[in-house]
Amino acid sequence: MPYSFPLGPYHPALEEPFKVKVQCRGEVIDSATVEVGFSFRGIELLAQKRNWVEVITLIERVCGICSNTHAMTFCIAAETIAGIEIPKRAAHIRTIIAELERLHSHLLWAGVGAEDIGFHSLFMEVFSLRELVMDMLEAISGNRVNYGMNCIGGVLRDIPDPARYLPALDALSKGLAEIVIPTFTENPTALARTRGVGRLNREQAVDWAVVGPVARASGLDIDVRKDQPYLSYTDLGFRSVVREEGDVLARVVVRALEMVESLRMIREALLSLPAGPLRATEGLPEIPVGEATIRTEAPRGEAFYYVASEGGATPARVKIRTPSFVNIPAIEAMVTGQPLADLSIIQASVDPCISCTDR
Amino acid sequence: MAMLKTILGNLLRPSRTRDPADMPDVPPVYRGALAHDAARCTACGTCAFVCAPKAISFTQDPGVSVSWHFFIGQCSFCGLCAQNCPTQAISLNADVPAGMDSAAGDGLRLESVVHLQPCTRCGAAHVPLPDATMAVLWGTEEAERGYCPDCRRWAASARLRSAFVPAAAEEVHHER
Ligand code: SF4
Ligand code: SF4
Repeated sequence: MPYSFPLGPYHPALEEPFKVKVQCRGEVIDSATVEVGFSFRGIELLAQKRNWVEVITLIERVCGICSNTHAMTFCIAAETIAGIEIPKRAAHIRTIIAELERLHSHLLWAGVGAEDIGFHSLFMEVFSLRELVMDMLEAISGNRVNYGMNCIGGVLRDIPDPARYLPALDALSKGLAEIVIPTFTENPTALARTRGVGRLNREQAVDWAVVGPVARASGLDIDVRKDQPYLSYTDLGFRSVVREEGDVLARVVVRALEMVESLRMIREALLSLPAGPLRATEGLPEIPVGEATIRTEAPRGEAFYYVASEGGATPARVKIRTPSFVNIPAIEAMVTGQPLADLSIIQASVDPCISCTDR
Repeated sequence: MAMLKTILGNLLRPSRTRDPADMPDVPPVYRGALAHDAARCTACGTCAFVCAPKAISFTQDPGVSVSWHFFIGQCSFCGLCAQNCPTQAISLNADVPAGMDSAAGDGLRLESVVHLQPCTRCGAAHVPLPDATMAVLWGTEEAERGYCPDCRRWAASARLRSAFVPAAAEEVHHER
């Protein structure tokens, strides 16, 4: 007999509120409806009431995990309006922070994913690796989250001794190659819970307009870092990672290989950090009349910003579309026909970030 | 077999849980407890301007003093106030910030009173510039050190005038 029940908004698997209404026939999910909006904060409106410096602090709080992406994308938008070109060193530092952030976000996700399939020892391994990334971010920016690195015109903090971070990168590469990747791709327990689970094929991926690792795991080779390179990605020779299978395993593998690529780029950027100033401007920014649309690749996919200025002390409009906002609805397509017990790992495989979806 | 190796390896290795003494170094850029030096503050308001959560505010006792207020419950430790203060009156130090009970009420509040001084020329109450700034602008001896912003502007234009019209220098002197 078919029955339906609500899962959430207080979630058994994730720490953030969103609700999935599932229709089941026995053990199998017939259909699902996703509802978001439980932690709406009205950041877009607030941004119209804060001056250009304050907005960066505010926007950084859109997401607790990819905080840098948001502050950085907003700054790039403001710089585009004002026609400011940031110094090369600042671009490199922004790239390093963005990639470190991707590492910590993907590692966090891998840990939560391991936890969701009941693999606690793998969760501990992943999180001890993630701690290395957090220490690096703290050493560079002074904070474990909300790094406060960006300002309009460049970055606020320098990386004075880049070579210092290389041993930690080595330890990370080793941990990824010897523990995380083999466990996820070879361990029978992990494979049993991920292979063939939560399929989203190429056509569905296009229909649901998914972005980021979810799209790349369904065979869509889209990545802003490659399609519309910004910052130092051209110099660093970024290569995207694509898988065709479209199941949870493919999403794991895409993220794992992306971490390897991020590590390579961080190492290269640290070793080739150009000399020069950190900021192109002095003092408080003045943004002329204009508008800009900027896309960057956040850890979860394309982050989209539209910023308009009327020349005043505050932005006239800040429109934010976050990657999870398009990825989360695709859960509806992924869970259909799947066992109920796989619901939690399928949801987690999208890496849903409610904080930024609700902003 | 692999499991045995792991178990043996784990027995021989020290604990991976960090003990309190084994902390990562506090980075020099760490943004901890906030400190304000009233002697350097000119009550210019830049810190309040850049503070997104409005943790910094000012109150006035007209003619006597300006007070700088900070409430930790609203601070997000972004460090922008310290970075933008023109006289480096604010610093975020390595110490752990004081505790806070709620964003609305309890928690550390700092208050610094910046006393106004009468202008040595016209008597108007104003915030004196920090010594270091004045030393750069006028050296240590100058009479202008005690001037209010209006009289400083007057003095600057008088200097300019005397540079262009040497005879006017005398006049300026008589005027005082
Ligand atoms: S602390 Fe600094 S920025 Fe704030 S009012 Fe005083 S001088 Fe200005
Ligand atoms: S650190 Fe940031 S939030 Fe705290 S008082 Fe300074 S500007 Fe405001």
